[in-house]
Amino acid sequence: TKYSLCFSVGYSAVAFNHVIDFKEKKQEITKPVSPTELFPSLPIVQGTSKRIKVLTRLTLIVSDPSHCNLLRSTSANIKLYDIIAVFPKTEKLFHIACTTLDVDLVCINVTEKLPFYFRRPPVNMAIDRGIYFELLYTPAIKDSTMRRYTISNAISLMQICKGKVSSQSENKPLELRGPYDVANLGLLFGLSESQAKAAVSTNCRATMLHGETRKTACGVVYTVKKPRKVEEEETPVPVCKKAKTQA
Amino acid sequence: RGPAGRGMAAAAFERRVLRRAAEHHYLRVRLELPDGGARPNAAQFKQLVVTALRELHGEVGAALPVDVLTYEEKTLSAILRVISSGLVKLWSALTLLGFYQNRRCAFRVLQTSPFLLALSGNSRELVLD
Repeated sequence: TKYSLCFSVGYSAVAFNHVIDFKEKKQEITKPVSPTELFPSLPIVQGTSKRIKVLTRLTLIVSDPSHCNLLRSTSANIKLYDIIAVFPKTEKLFHIACTTLDVDLVCINVTEKLPFYFRRPPVNMAIDRGIYFELLYTPAIKDSTMRRYTISNAISLMQICKGKVSSQSENKPLELRGPYDVANLGLLFGLSESQAKAAVSTNCRATMLHGETRKTACGVVYTVKKPRKVEEEETPVPVCKKAKTQA
Repeated sequence: RGPAGRGMAAAAFERRVLRRAAEHHYLRVRLELPDGGARPNAAQFKQLVVTALRELHGEVGAALPVDVLTYEEKTLSAILRVISSGLVKLWSALTLLGFYQNRRCAFRVLQTSPFLLALSGNSRELVLD
């Protein structure tokens, strides 16, 4: 099947994407299909003896600020997805997505001339929060006009976000490309060699971990040792003796 | 230069590290044509590679010296040789190729190495028990 191809190409983790477009009415977020129902036994990663990880992912296409309310509400189904990505359509939404929304990925549409320019402040804030940007490379395979737009948008994205990117494929099995092929495309977009390989490996893993922490951690408590006040004395007293008298 | 340490006489060997000295890079690729149509022969395959380069990198890309060292029509797999400086161009052109004579196709790059001998074994096809 289609999925067996992406396993044979050399990936070690795959995420099934559910896309929700809010422009259509009555969109509800359904429970994700559990991967174990689709595959009774997962195939093994090429060259190792580990099984492929299958995750679930939700992409929200937002064109209106009211759509973001869904992310803030504690809808039970949203928590079931491993990775959440948002696809902002306007500049204001891009700003909101980078700064306040609780997501792991921000998708950038590369097939059209972008209606907004990337500005450095929200992009830097997103990078600090651990959010990565995402590009589709499939349109570049289909059509030469798409190819030009993809490459020009990708290059402008790289210049602003200093290479914190991961990549994505979609749809038909023939349009899938192996991980090293995609890393090579990163070189075309202006990344350095290490950044290009990271775009397929390290950054994707960081996104997975970010999703995991979003699911589990709600707050962190840590203790800090307070420095003891040093009292000035003429004869220095050993610390243990001092503690005894203080107790 | 080999180190002459620990009070021994100067070592009789010297070590040289060559970076990027390989002139050519070799790629083992396979063309996937899912529809059961006519398969390209060797000349058509080379033409396809040059077309891919021209589509992405223009005339300068199409002029890149690429050789098809072996080609098997049955499995549609081939070994290509390219100048090392042109590896990124060739690889990206093959990756972004979508159509062969209006039929959907895809190039899968199986192995790449600066040494031809390295293409003979593929660790990804090992079956680990």
